[in-house]
Amino acid sequence: MATATPTTLTQNVLREGLILPRTPDPAVMVIFGASGDLTARKLMPALYNLALNRYLPSGFSVIGVADTALSEADFKANMAEAVRKFSRTQPVDHAVWQSVADGIAYVRMPFDDQDGYGRLAAELERMDRERGTNGNRVFYFATAPQFFPVIVERLGASGIARAGQGWKRVVIEKPFGHDLKSAQALNQSIHAVFTEPQVYRIDHYLGKETVQNVLVFRFANGIFEPIWNRRYVDHIQITVAEDIGIERRGKYYETAGALRDIFQNHLLQLLSIAAMEAPANFDADTVRDEKVKVLKSIHPIDVASDVVRGQYGPGWVGGQQVPGYRQEVNVSPASATETYVAARIRIDNWRWAETPFYLRTGKRLPSRASEIAIQFKNAPHLPFAKTAIQDLNPNVLVMRIQPHEGASLKIAAKIPGPVMRLRTVNMDFFYGSSFLIESPDAYERLVLDCLLGDPTLFAREDEVERAWGLADTIENGWAAQPPSDFPNYAAGTWGPEAADALIERDRRRWRRP
Amino acid sequence: MSGEHGELTTRTFVDVHAIQDELEQVRWGLHENGEFSEAAEHAAAEARASVLNLIAVVGSERQLTEVSHTLDALSVTNPSRTLILLAQHDRSVGKLEAEVSAQTRTESGHRVTTERVLLHAHGEVAAHLASLVTPLLIPDLPVVLWWPGRPDFDNPLFDDLCELADRLVVDTDEGFEPPDLKRLLEIARREHAGASIGDFNWARLIPWRHLAAQFFDMPGMLAHLAQIHGVAVYHGRDGSTTQARLLGGWIQGRMASIGIEVPVEFRPDDAYEHGVCRFLIYSRGPDGQARFSISHQPGGRLSTEIRVDEQDFVDRTVRLTRRAAEELLAIELTLPGHDVLFEEALAASLR
Repeated sequence: MATATPTTLTQNVLREGLILPRTPDPAVMVIFGASGDLTARKLMPALYNLALNRYLPSGFSVIGVADTALSEADFKANMAEAVRKFSRTQPVDHAVWQSVADGIAYVRMPFDDQDGYGRLAAELERMDRERGTNGNRVFYFATAPQFFPVIVERLGASGIARAGQGWKRVVIEKPFGHDLKSAQALNQSIHAVFTEPQVYRIDHYLGKETVQNVLVFRFANGIFEPIWNRRYVDHIQITVAEDIGIERRGKYYETAGALRDIFQNHLLQLLSIAAMEAPANFDADTVRDEKVKVLKSIHPIDVASDVVRGQYGPGWVGGQQVPGYRQEVNVSPASATETYVAARIRIDNWRWAETPFYLRTGKRLPSRASEIAIQFKNAPHLPFAKTAIQDLNPNVLVMRIQPHEGASLKIAAKIPGPVMRLRTVNMDFFYGSSFLIESPDAYERLVLDCLLGDPTLFAREDEVERAWGLADTIENGWAAQPPSDFPNYAAGTWGPEAADALIERDRRRWRRP
Repeated sequence: MSGEHGELTTRTFVDVHAIQDELEQVRWGLHENGEFSEAAEHAAAEARASVLNLIAVVGSERQLTEVSHTLDALSVTNPSRTLILLAQHDRSVGKLEAEVSAQTRTESGHRVTTERVLLHAHGEVAAHLASLVTPLLIPDLPVVLWWPGRPDFDNPLFDDLCELADRLVVDTDEGFEPPDLKRLLEIARREHAGASIGDFNWARLIPWRHLAAQFFDMPGMLAHLAQIHGVAVYHGRDGSTTQARLLGGWIQGRMASIGIEVPVEFRPDDAYEHGVCRFLIYSRGPDGQARFSISHQPGGRLSTEIRVDEQDFVDRTVRLTRRAAEELLAIELTLPGHDVLFEEALAASLR
């Protein structure tokens, strides 16, 4: 019998000092498209590894939804097989998997079937009753994008989206539309049922340690920020280069092109984090506000003079002869789809006025490299003999994302000896070699963030629409003038000549990343 | 150049300046006459990452071999300057030897180099090794003192090195008794910024603490936290209770921070040999008596159970990895500051 007045606690004092601030609430994740590739390769292995490492709450449950004829036992067996094949940790711990599998159910239905949603609702209620999930739901859309609107609509109409207590969240995978209009239409159809804070747009690129590394590099080191502006920076080059072609994705790529596939999301993301102001804190909206501000400050693009597109022809990459884009499977022999984009972007704010950003991405370039390179201005005056400095390069700070995450700084040094001879040296720093700790998979991180209700690393509506607005400007400019010179670069080269001309016009050159 | 793993040079010195010179040479791959070699030119064009100074103290050749293996595994993830002290002050003949070596490993295309100095001392000089250690440390980087095995707390070397170190890493599972734990706490709470303490045994408790905390994250369970009225910690039959004491001390310390005294019972469980094997938390809440339990399962797992008012909640099973020394050490190396919770648990366990 307690005699003291019960203390009312507002926080869990046992939590202190542990890595995560809290455990997610028990919840049901409803996966639409549960028989698909994404669920098997990414989602289920991520959930298993989260469970293995104690990140999932007791009672966490999964309902797979798909129109594939499978019994619940079949579905569980498939998922067990998927985890065995694709989990990053091996071998799979059967007892832990069993504890996850106990909370898995399967509902077979077409995504537009009203009755199916009735069965889904009943299954959800059973989970709440038996597993204490309390009405908390994550609706994960692992389907082709054309199904998103109908699923959202049916979730609303059936009452599942609002039923009972608990939170409801929706996860959608990129692409978030294929232009501004379709992105807005998608957002509208989602917002008919869910509010923006409930929507988690997953782009695994953002879950990478890299993006966070760049933010820490910039905002946890006092020495870089003072020179991170037009006074000291000559220009910035952002490159996402791929040596691979389009693999087997011809059908998709024909409708996307490099602009939609990489430029609109990855390149603009990297631009945002390289150019953004320091956020006041690391809250989801504060960080995303700063990123959106960058996109809003982009000077209107003159497509004819500031953007170059290209398409690869046959050539040699890495010692192998490869076909041209038009010879790839499921690609039109007269395709006008671009596999390369380069753009010169200006940002109209005090920090970056007159400091251009050169962005480029392409398929079948000579090597795989993603990086942000800050090229500083030359020293204002060099007190050394002219002969010694002619070939001296300005300082360049490179934040590398692929293949090896790290940073390097190019500086001038004196060559030992009686004569004053200078030489440029690279100081390289690899994050990996300082603390080679196994990085969690991007999906694990993102799924956990969603369960915890932290949207920092997810794309926000305005961010997505701004980026599509920019892509549309370019697309519209191009539509007026179909390319006449495709293919205009050979596989294994650094893109079309026009891209060199774009930057050389400003008396600058592309780096070899 | 790439793919190598091994010692560049191994030589014997007794003079601190000679050791320093040799360290410079192995660090940058210079030739012994100090001229630039091809390797040195290459090295001069790259930075060398180092994240800490690590001092390990061992008492025997056998321990030296074990510790060297652990440090080898660690060198890729924590490039450091490592000083290994083989201090045998009980041997009568005075002797001091030093060996300098560099270990280079290539990991996914880039090189990581760790310099290592082995100082081997007999007799009186063994107690004064700290004077040789100080000039060999890289400036501006934290100094971590790893003392595998139970330290000889009364050895002046231990005291001197604790003065130098930012962090002392031990394993209280190595036969630490309550008086030893008391000495540890004194070191951490020394005035003038005592070294912070890392303990492998404490790190092994992370999954237990995590699961216990998660009980009260569940909806409606927070009310039970303030109503905890008893805790039982079961430990293996071998009689070693340090780990159980730390876990009990942890929950006592945490609950005391909100003004609640929690009695802890320690019980041996004959089915287990060693360490904590079961953790029970008893509470009463608005919905009746509750019992939260975490049990060690065969095959390296932990399972949890919640029972409130005779009703069972969904249980779960997670992995309990048995971590190797290098993994535990790697965890300790990334934690720079004082672990106030560990100090709180230590203090509570001694009450």
